[in-house]
Amino acid sequence: MARFIFRRLAFAIVTLWLVVSAAFFLIRAAPGGPFDGERRLPPAIEKNLLASYHLDEPLPVQYWRYLRMVGGGDLGPSFKQKDFTVNELISAGLPISLGLGISAFLLALLLGTSLGTFAALGHDTFRDRFLSGLATLGLAFPPLIVAPILVLVFAVGLAWLPAGGHSSPKHYVLPTIALSLPYIAAFARLSRIGCLEALGLPHVTTARAKGLSHPRLIFQHVFPSAFVPVLSFSGPAAAALLAGSMVVEEVFSLPGLGRYFVQGAINRDYTLVMGTVLVYAVLILVLNLLVDLLYGRLDPRVRSEMVASND
Amino acid sequence: MRLFLLISAICCCVNGLADFIRIGNTGEPATLDPHRYNLRLEETILNDLYLGLTTMNQAGQIVPGAAVSWEVSHDGLIWTFELRRDARWSDGKPVTAADFVFSYQRLLNPETASSLAFFMYPIKNAEAINSGNAPVSTLGVAALATHRLEIELEKPFPFFAERLLYPTAYPVPRHAITTHGENWVKPENIVTNGAFILADWRPQGFVELVKNQRFYDASNVALPGVRYIPVQNTTTALNRYRAGELDVILDFPAGELRWLRQRMPDHVRVSPLLSVMYLVFNVSEPPFDDIRIRKALALAIDRRILTEKVLESGEPVSYGLVPSIVANYPTATTQLPDRELARKLLTAAGFTQNKPLKLTLRYFTGDENKRIQIAIASMWRSVGVQTSLHHAELNAHFADLRQGDFQVAQAGWFGENNPEHYLELLMSDIGDVNYGRYISPKYDRLMRQAKRTADLETRITLLKGAEIEGLRDFGVIPLYSVMIRSLVDPQILGWQTNPRNVHGARYLRRK
Amino acid sequence: MTDLRWSSLRPAHKASVVCLLLLALALLLVPWLSPWGQEHIDWNAIDTPPSPTHWFGTDGSGRDLLVRTMAGGRVSLTIAVLATIVSFAIGLPWGAIAGFAGGRVDQLMMRIVDGLYGLPFMFLVILLVVFFGRNPYLLFIAIGAVSWLDLARIVRGQTLVVKNAMYIEAARALGVTDLWIITRHVVPNVMGPASVYATLTIPGIIIAESFISFLGLGIQEPQTSWGVLIADGATRLHAPWQLIFPATFLAVTLLVLNVAGDQLREAMEPKKQGVRL
Repeated sequence: MARFIFRRLAFAIVTLWLVVSAAFFLIRAAPGGPFDGERRLPPAIEKNLLASYHLDEPLPVQYWRYLRMVGGGDLGPSFKQKDFTVNELISAGLPISLGLGISAFLLALLLGTSLGTFAALGHDTFRDRFLSGLATLGLAFPPLIVAPILVLVFAVGLAWLPAGGHSSPKHYVLPTIALSLPYIAAFARLSRIGCLEALGLPHVTTARAKGLSHPRLIFQHVFPSAFVPVLSFSGPAAAALLAGSMVVEEVFSLPGLGRYFVQGAINRDYTLVMGTVLVYAVLILVLNLLVDLLYGRLDPRVRSEMVASND
Repeated sequence: MRLFLLISAICCCVNGLADFIRIGNTGEPATLDPHRYNLRLEETILNDLYLGLTTMNQAGQIVPGAAVSWEVSHDGLIWTFELRRDARWSDGKPVTAADFVFSYQRLLNPETASSLAFFMYPIKNAEAINSGNAPVSTLGVAALATHRLEIELEKPFPFFAERLLYPTAYPVPRHAITTHGENWVKPENIVTNGAFILADWRPQGFVELVKNQRFYDASNVALPGVRYIPVQNTTTALNRYRAGELDVILDFPAGELRWLRQRMPDHVRVSPLLSVMYLVFNVSEPPFDDIRIRKALALAIDRRILTEKVLESGEPVSYGLVPSIVANYPTATTQLPDRELARKLLTAAGFTQNKPLKLTLRYFTGDENKRIQIAIASMWRSVGVQTSLHHAELNAHFADLRQGDFQVAQAGWFGENNPEHYLELLMSDIGDVNYGRYISPKYDRLMRQAKRTADLETRITLLKGAEIEGLRDFGVIPLYSVMIRSLVDPQILGWQTNPRNVHGARYLRRK
Repeated sequence: MTDLRWSSLRPAHKASVVCLLLLALALLLVPWLSPWGQEHIDWNAIDTPPSPTHWFGTDGSGRDLLVRTMAGGRVSLTIAVLATIVSFAIGLPWGAIAGFAGGRVDQLMMRIVDGLYGLPFMFLVILLVVFFGRNPYLLFIAIGAVSWLDLARIVRGQTLVVKNAMYIEAARALGVTDLWIITRHVVPNVMGPASVYATLTIPGIIIAESFISFLGLGIQEPQTSWGVLIADGATRLHAPWQLIFPATFLAVTLLVLNVAGDQLREAMEPKKQGVRL
């Protein structure tokens, strides 16, 4: 088990390094720089600015300097937000994105798996078909479509909920719904399949035949199996959620990590962009690792496989 | 300092945060160091934190600020300022002439890398110092006494008092900078001399200012504090305002104006801004070096359709490079579109239906900008020109322009109540802001002559002559002046529209 | 692969296929038939709601929204198809080589796929687009370049199946080179399922392009796509039709593609015992 974790961690670190390097070189290759303003700077000033941010050093030197910095946990100064460091900006934005992402994920998980299980239990009845239909419908509504429509209907039209800002939990209601909708649908479909598989398994049908009471049956045997396909999808789902949060943060004016990323990319704020990419990559790798571990606990077959194999 | 902040904070809590005004600013400030600012949204906040030699009253007129009075020598070169004796920094230390000397030297020191340092180039040796060609001590600023400041200019500049309104001319606390270095701008260290001090700054969250009790005029400052909340998206700004989360917003989508005027007329504040939006030609790139092409493209544009149909806030048309609202300056003559003549000129220049003129029109991102360029492209299509549109974010757009990487582009100039500020754009030695590299010896000659003239009336006549010359050449096509669109809660008093769109929070109060 | 005859399709799937055909027809014909051009400005009808002259109303510049929505659809779908081809061009060889080579090469190649699988693609695509300009050609290449992973997995799986078939052994025995085997036997057999799975990625690609265009980094004026139209509509909520029409079209297209995709996916998988999924 420990060997498994170790290999995963090593792999993760290598991936991180690749991601950071890719981002570093890509940004340097881009036209334009962080100091493009409306007026041209006198050469002496431009020289000083570049020097103070170490942009005048040769590329490999800058790269090594950055790797050393990041290794020590310092993500550098922001090129555009001159009074702040990237760490400060990210620590301001991360809680908001995490709050949004976690709420959306939990909502999708709970609501999605409940709906899916519910549908599976009433297999082939009207409710099953109806819920399945709804789930398929839900996949057609990415945050990009849902977010502005929610604002139109609930914020502008009915004025029930706020349209922007993040000062109270109320502000997170619409963004969470907008972000989670397609994942509720996806999890519903997956958990339904998981449940149906479980319902068809020998030990379940046997238990049913033996007359085991219904609720116990559900919770002990069927429900956990609903989570298996959901869990394996959780990794990519979380990654997609983080990406989707960019649109939601934009529409609802939430100053989260996604917002910083987009603004940083547009402004060529090198250090800010690299910092956010790094944070995202870490989050996703950690999530994937967690998912893999949970997967093992949940499904005994997989766990024994993991232990037995060299993987 | 910390104790002071704590006391202020407690006073605020006692007063109730409800008395704070929440202003939706157009974006997040990158810095609150007055010597490093770049954006108008930063200027708004800095105007509340600091007090320059001159400042603006509610109506936007220039009034004494840190200086109670000033005199100009007969040749227009020496300006002597009498400073307010009771002025203090927020930590109690007095504001003296030596502070201003330090500040201006810091501004122009190339190590500070201030991108707007050129605002103070009228001062003697300023440009040389800023380019690294002279030591900082040679700057034409001297403290004659503890409260008397003397500034010597390179050439007479009657508009200097207005130039001092910008944050580049604000004093910075030498004692704080010496103690804290670059961290002096952080809320726990910062020291200011304006009506407010910086209490808290959460990036993308808000900038919080609380009343500076040591401000000389603190008794007339009614607000306990202000929160500037960045809202980049004008639609969100409007939604939050309507939801009651903001008391003031500094911009809203033009499309909503009609609706707002019907439902919430008392909230709407619309007025023209000292600005000109124009199209610039890259005169060094053929075929835009041919005046017939430039003239044809200019004649094809119907400015009245742009301002009446496309723009929605009553923007004033600008036929001249100097905005019509600039004081004491004769307005430019109207030019009507003439598509027939435009087509003739294009044919004469060699472009026919089989071989149409193709060009790329660049603009910077924004809903209004986009619709204007779409409309212009359509007008040009009606005379046989094929236009493709290219947009970039503000900074990137102007960077491209400065490097001459464009054919025709949208540009804008915001600023002063002084015609020179706009006409300088076409001077050959002004630097990169003459994006199109327009060169006219006659224009230069007239402008230089004007700049040497101390008498205001003669100066303006010369400037007008230069403008006529430049417009005749179609180096640029001025289009319109931008409108300020704000929403202000009727409960807030003291907000007056003014052409510079600066509203000091010290004049505001709740009903 | 089981039967995909028309008569064996469920009603929902039949409806979705018909819908797709109608949509394709509309996207092609409407701009051709309409009196309004995609860029034509009606000066007196700026921001007007749906009316007999402008069936979907007009946008903030006075252009007919029906024509724009159809034009946007063409662009969105074209990019989706092109991006799919790109991802196919990368994923197919990758999976085929990995599956066929086996052993260390296979492990390495699939490890790379695993590693890339969890990464935030949208970020990389945005970075690519921002750096190298907003070229529409670049857009579909970038999207395609980050969406080939699933396809590579499927192709590898299929390749493994084919590899073990008898006739491969026979060809080997005859002394034929590996490359010849891959191109002449593996690829044709894998193409079928691979193509199907490739088409399943189209909705995701449409969403990706719309997303990027929504952020202002994708399709530029005067070209349009559904993402651009939705972004514009979202800023002009006083004219709700500008949001509702493109959003509805996008949602319906995604729905229909998903339903049709489900049918294809079902046809690919063997029936599970006892329970019809």
